[in-house]
Amino acid sequence: MLQAFWNWFDPTAWYPLGRVVGGTIYPGLMATSGVIYNILHALHLPVDIRNICVLLAPGFSALTAWSTYMFTKEMKDESAGLLAAAFIGIVPGYISRSVAGSYDNEAIAIFLLMFTFFCWIKALKTGSAFFGTLAALFYFYMVAAWGGYAFITNMIPLHSLVLIIMGRFSSRLYVAYSSWYAVGTLSSMQVPFVGFQPVSTSEHMAALGVFGLLQIIAFAELVRSHLSSKQFQTLLLASVIGLGVLGALGFVGLTYKGWIAPWTGRFYSLWDTGYAKKYIPIIASVSEHQPTAWPSFFMDLHFLIFLFPAGVVMCFNKLRDEHIFVILYAVVASYFAGVMVRLMLTLTPVVCVAAAIAFSSLLDTYIDPIEPESIVEGQPEGDVAGAVDSKKAKKTAPQPTSTALGDIVSKFSSSSKPSRPHGIFGLNTRLIVILNAIGMLIFFVLHCTWVTSNAYSSPSVVLASSNPDGSQHIIDDFREAYYWLRQNTPENAVVMSWWDYGYQIAGMADRPTLVDNNTWNNTHIATVGKAMSSTEEVAYPILRKHDVDYVLIIFGGLLGYSGDDINKFLWMVRIAQGVWPDEIQEPNYFTRQGEYRVDEAAPPTMKNSLMYKMSYYRFSELFGGNQAMDRVRSQQMPKTGPTLDYLDEAFTSENWIVRIYQVKKEDLLGRDLKTANAFAQGKKRKRTKPPVRRRAV
Amino acid sequence: MFSRWTLVTLLGLALSGAAKSSTGDSVLVVLDSISDKDNFSQFFNGLTDKGYDLTFRSPKDAKPTIIEDDVAQFSHVVLFSPDSKNYAQDITPQSLVTLLEKGSNLLVALPSKKQTIITSLAPEFSLILPPPGTPLVSHFPERDTPVTVVPVTPPSSNPILTPNTPPVWFSGVPFAYGNNPLLVPILNAPAESFAADSGSDSGADAVVEAADKGGEGLWAGSQMGLVAGFQALGGARATWVGGVELFSDEYAQKELPQGVKPGNTQFTSDVAAWTFQESLALRIDNVTHHLVGETGPRETYTINDNVVFTAHISKYNSGKSAWEPYSGITDMQLEFTMLDPHIRTSLPPATGNPGEYSVTFRVPDRHGVFKFIIDYKRKGWTHLQSSTVVPVVPPRHDGYPRFLSAAWPYYIGAISTSIGFVLFSTLWLAGDDREANKKFAKTTKTE
Repeated sequence: MLQAFWNWFDPTAWYPLGRVVGGTIYPGLMATSGVIYNILHALHLPVDIRNICVLLAPGFSALTAWSTYMFTKEMKDESAGLLAAAFIGIVPGYISRSVAGSYDNEAIAIFLLMFTFFCWIKALKTGSAFFGTLAALFYFYMVAAWGGYAFITNMIPLHSLVLIIMGRFSSRLYVAYSSWYAVGTLSSMQVPFVGFQPVSTSEHMAALGVFGLLQIIAFAELVRSHLSSKQFQTLLLASVIGLGVLGALGFVGLTYKGWIAPWTGRFYSLWDTGYAKKYIPIIASVSEHQPTAWPSFFMDLHFLIFLFPAGVVMCFNKLRDEHIFVILYAVVASYFAGVMVRLMLTLTPVVCVAAAIAFSSLLDTYIDPIEPESIVEGQPEGDVAGAVDSKKAKKTAPQPTSTALGDIVSKFSSSSKPSRPHGIFGLNTRLIVILNAIGMLIFFVLHCTWVTSNAYSSPSVVLASSNPDGSQHIIDDFREAYYWLRQNTPENAVVMSWWDYGYQIAGMADRPTLVDNNTWNNTHIATVGKAMSSTEEVAYPILRKHDVDYVLIIFGGLLGYSGDDINKFLWMVRIAQGVWPDEIQEPNYFTRQGEYRVDEAAPPTMKNSLMYKMSYYRFSELFGGNQAMDRVRSQQMPKTGPTLDYLDEAFTSENWIVRIYQVKKEDLLGRDLKTANAFAQGKKRKRTKPPVRRRAV
Repeated sequence: MFSRWTLVTLLGLALSGAAKSSTGDSVLVVLDSISDKDNFSQFFNGLTDKGYDLTFRSPKDAKPTIIEDDVAQFSHVVLFSPDSKNYAQDITPQSLVTLLEKGSNLLVALPSKKQTIITSLAPEFSLILPPPGTPLVSHFPERDTPVTVVPVTPPSSNPILTPNTPPVWFSGVPFAYGNNPLLVPILNAPAESFAADSGSDSGADAVVEAADKGGEGLWAGSQMGLVAGFQALGGARATWVGGVELFSDEYAQKELPQGVKPGNTQFTSDVAAWTFQESLALRIDNVTHHLVGETGPRETYTINDNVVFTAHISKYNSGKSAWEPYSGITDMQLEFTMLDPHIRTSLPPATGNPGEYSVTFRVPDRHGVFKFIIDYKRKGWTHLQSSTVVPVVPPRHDGYPRFLSAAWPYYIGAISTSIGFVLFSTLWLAGDDREANKKFAKTTKTE
């Protein structure tokens, strides 16, 4: 079964290029569902594969909660771990990927991310090759599941590097890192999509470099144990400088020779937010790749975002190796989440962890029934002892109730246990803080429930709106249109649409598509962009060359659905311009004043573009002589709409959201279709003159 | 006597039962008035003798209609009604084009004087007509007929016509050819002829003046067409004739200036045979493809496979009213296309099997959805078009060679490391125990 998946060539995607699915996909998600399916069937539980796919994300979110618990437990204690698990269970930033039906790579990837980090911390703490290898195995799973594995690939080396710089090199680090890197890299290269990237692209070079550095340092340690310190100092200096220069030269040389691929565009766009818009519009065109707006931090994380810095600061208190990891993770992920909305997902776990550390410290402090000794007779004691005490105290202390709290507190304070210099006096202070904290938790739960029900609970293909009387109105145009395609077109009819709808057409209409959401070929997408943004005459040969039978567009002008193709149109223009700068120019699609308009004042290039014509074809007729109105752009449309000569309207859905056009065949008599159309409508043609072949007498 | 007649009738029935044309034998003839059909009796009798089933109507008759319920009612339509200005509702330029779309063939005579729907239809076929009322005029060769009745020598190399057809009498309008590859010139005007509204010598100056004025120059010379075929993309054929008199009994019998019989009968018969898809009609019976060494087609091919592509082509034999395998095409090509042709090779006839064309080639080193494309378009012949889609996939994961000679450094590296590890382990484990004991002792002591 795995081999069939591996060798799967899909001739209906990216027509006519086809897609080598096995080689262009992270197979982890599908493999996981397949394994679950087979296990259930081996247990004689006949569960449909679709149900498994739907419920995979919630199932894995439970595992995520567990691994977050384990991870946080390593940082602080079980109570913080429990809090972190509870946080990540409902935080909107993660629930967006863990609701039922969110069958996405990220659904399993976040669990793998957290578990790999847990294994890494464990390996580092114990110096165990077993946990190092376990981390490598989960790293391999992660590589097979999500492109975001590069985050781990760079996080762990970064952590190791910082530890080395801080002078915390130890044999534990050496064992953990070496076992992780060696096994992890070799196994990750087994994923066909990744192949030789771990040794040939810049993104993976940090891991390799740190691996080399660790070997050198370990060797230096060995040498030091055999040599006198004076000799060693000079030797170390010379060798470090020599090796550093050599390594840097080698890296530059290999990059220059092209053996190591330079950074990819997606990577540059992480550092320069304007880069993608300028050079790779296809990346910038994805809404998930836009820089994050401030409100979305609150929306996705709620009060955790305020506790998050506190938790990070608390990590500085103890600053063991694993705390450095959390600090680094927090810094790096915060930056990335600010650059790309999508990377909010990688930030969410560390926010939960840090917030849990902060919150549990707060609760530890304020619920701890031991009253501190008064400062006068207080004896200074080590922090570590205090921490241990508080742990012990917490274990033995029963859950204090507000009424009996005073008694218990006094009982404990009078007990034989050694008292501490820090702590909280009295009941009212405790109550104020604890009630506030509980209030925050309650609001957090309410917020998460609200966001989940509003933003993440409805499928994206079925839209819901509310009628004036408050009842729900379902807009089901997408499924209607895809079903029409499935029922009314030949099975091999090629459908062209913008790439956003590629997977939907392939899945729900079962028709070959030109481009889809797996945006691996920029030129092919640009071809579609060019066809959409050119005139009919220019677009027609492109359509014929690609055997396009139907063109599908999304039009929201009637209903006010703002995610339609006219709003995405500029991205099509930009992407096409990237490949054909002579033929498509973005400024031509704006008015002289620089406005993006679709009404009477729209520039001719815009009005003649295929996308405009298809969107507004017969739109004004709908208004029965009244002024037509585009509700998305709030502009009044011209009375006479555009005409189409090379396409026929085939289908328009109930609310005009999906419009499908059929591409006409070449004219029978070899005329261009515009002339043929004029003839068919009975228009008189001007008398043609013979081609000038004869001389005047 | 009686038995002989029955025999003839039976024979006639048998003949009429078998269609002469490859597309059907019902013909609608539209004449200015039905009584005109006696003027073309030779031509029409020739068609009837071949086995066609002729129906006559005048342009204004409502019945029989050419298209009813979106179905073409006749396989062929002959429009010999140059003088009619008004037609019944079912005959419009648009409906005639629709007729071609539905596979019926058209034989149209251009009006010589009036502007009718026929003249407005001609430009759609890329035929450019001279200003109205300017028939073809030629003063050569010297003859006793009016200057507008011209003997024209048919080209000898046109596959549509019988070779060495004697000159034919023509009278009517010439036309210029537009830039359309679907046009098939059949008969061109003589080099010394021209189009003019005045046949008398005294009007020469007026002709020159008009030519200057119109900005089109003089309509003259052998680039003008008189009879032109048109091969529509759907396979239907249309033939445009500059004057209907070409088909008349009068011209068929009128002696040429040299004193011989004209070629009109032969010529019109050839033109009708081509128009009604009796001659030069080809079709692709089937196409198959398979790997070298196999017989059945594969659903997909792997890159660099060797593939055999075979096409079977038939030609219509009007004598036997049957399609027969045809191996006479020598210049056919096969393209293996994904967006652009990756392979373009000749598709020669296979020796031994009549009608079979076959070629073996290596699939390019590129995966994708490819098409085997035959696109054979030659003037006069039916277009042959065929497109067979087949995905070309990369090798399976186990389809690559197992051992590469170029990878020997890596093999040696892996093997030597393994051996080294084994050696090291044995030496380490079987090494001197004493030192290890000492060390062990030391460490225990320090602890």
